[in-house]
Amino acid sequence: MSRRVALIGTSAIPIGRHQTADNESLQVLEHEIMTRLVSEAVRDAGVSKEDVQSLIFTLPRPYTRQKYFHTFLMGQLRLACSGSVMEVMGNGMTAALAFDKACDEIMLGRAEVALALGINMESAVSAAEHMMSSMRTTGDVDFHTSAGFTPIAWYAMDAMRYMHEHGATREQLGAVAVKNRYHASLNPLAQYRKPITLEEVVSQRPIVEPLGLYDVPPRGDGAACLVLASEEVARSLGRPYALVRGRGFYHDGTHQISDVPNDMIAFTSAKQAAQDAYKQAGITASDLDVVEPYAPCTIVEVLVSEAIGLFEKGQGARAAFDGETRLGGRIPISTSGGLTSRGHPAYVTSLYNYVEMADQLRGRAGERQVKNARLGLVSGELGNYNAALIHVLEAMA
Amino acid sequence: MNHNPLPMVSVVGNLSYPPRLSEFTQTFWNGLRTGQWQTTCCEDCKKVTFPPKPVCPHCWSPRVGWKPLGAKGTLYSWTRIHAAPAVFASESPYAVGIVDLSEGVRLACRLVTEEGVALNPGMPVEMVVLQYEDGPLFAARPVLESQEN
Repeated sequence: MSRRVALIGTSAIPIGRHQTADNESLQVLEHEIMTRLVSEAVRDAGVSKEDVQSLIFTLPRPYTRQKYFHTFLMGQLRLACSGSVMEVMGNGMTAALAFDKACDEIMLGRAEVALALGINMESAVSAAEHMMSSMRTTGDVDFHTSAGFTPIAWYAMDAMRYMHEHGATREQLGAVAVKNRYHASLNPLAQYRKPITLEEVVSQRPIVEPLGLYDVPPRGDGAACLVLASEEVARSLGRPYALVRGRGFYHDGTHQISDVPNDMIAFTSAKQAAQDAYKQAGITASDLDVVEPYAPCTIVEVLVSEAIGLFEKGQGARAAFDGETRLGGRIPISTSGGLTSRGHPAYVTSLYNYVEMADQLRGRAGERQVKNARLGLVSGELGNYNAALIHVLEAMA
Repeated sequence: MNHNPLPMVSVVGNLSYPPRLSEFTQTFWNGLRTGQWQTTCCEDCKKVTFPPKPVCPHCWSPRVGWKPLGAKGTLYSWTRIHAAPAVFASESPYAVGIVDLSEGVRLACRLVTEEGVALNPGMPVEMVVLQYEDGPLFAARPVLESQEN
């Protein structure tokens, strides 16, 4: 039987504005944040510096002045190791890939303890400028970007189609934003914590119709560090940990849209990856206690909740509106506050999803704690969920 | 299949983010200037793909040829973009959408809107060429019931 992997320690800074503008006299330096987080996470895990043999970093944004950030940090930490040291990149999936590759290092026996970590700084760059880069990350740069498509425009078209097919309302989608803001109000790491009402959500200015300001993710800076270990090491430490029980990945062989007409809002990659992860874990969707999806917009959370089998097709928005996905509901989703309220420092977003899952499964989520949370699911994605990476984790006391 | 040139819609100003031309794609973009609406079709597996590609994505054959596309289709979904990248600021808000062409090809493009005509998934649309001063862009616009043949 292959080795199993545990998530044993985490650290993160609150998501928000950390990046300094070029003209400020005192600059915030990424490596100073990162070395503190490594020290904190390793202490949280209860392991020592020498135990760490692999480090998988998320690629920093192009705005980060220090290049080769990962190997620069090895020098700041004077960490000699024999596993792998690298930066990974997969657009929105970047941080989920960092976690996944860190798992691989342990399963391959290259490390007993591995870190998945990174920093995403972008808030000092205006949205219109930042979009000059992000518009080239989704779709075809010649055949789509030339028409003005932006990353969240694709999700907006999911929303339009979903409302058309299922008669879902703006209010039902908006309920996801209200619920996530409530969760965020209980999360010290969240970017936006002041509760909002449904009236406020639906009356916001449109960003990409039918989605308004509160249906789409804010931009922000963030940094986090996860400590992963072999099950043996995790068990020897005598502390609660989260064991990776299942993993699924699926790329549907399309980028953004399929030129062969399909059911665009079925998110078949999420469905396939979840089924594979459930099979490995020996569970079904109904066994899950808490779900922390990569869902940049309200509609995405709805579509993921259906694709991974929590709700029937067309029922996700109604379920969210009825409170089924709220803390205390049938299946709490995005207890961190999700991408819309906890925040979305894109290249490290999923690190925060695993931080939340570790908190839930180690019983450390405070007021956000899902009672007796035992099984949780975390997802990452590319494009319009053209690819999905899903992990199922289990609480081990 | 409609082999007539696509209707032309003149636009004041230049393309906000012009597509690149390659030796291969210039056939498409230069053809579009005169309303020629076409894509590639695999000579081995006979499948059509859009955007045009020099290697068939279905069977990986490099034997592809150009084939005219029909102009008629159905709007699968759409959005209006209010928060636009810097280079598109002067055009915003603008509508974009996903169109299923009658011959079973799905594509994404700019939408030409008219005051008083609501965009709805499922509505009939036709492809047009937006003639910017420096080059063409393909787009779709609603076909009003009375105009349908």
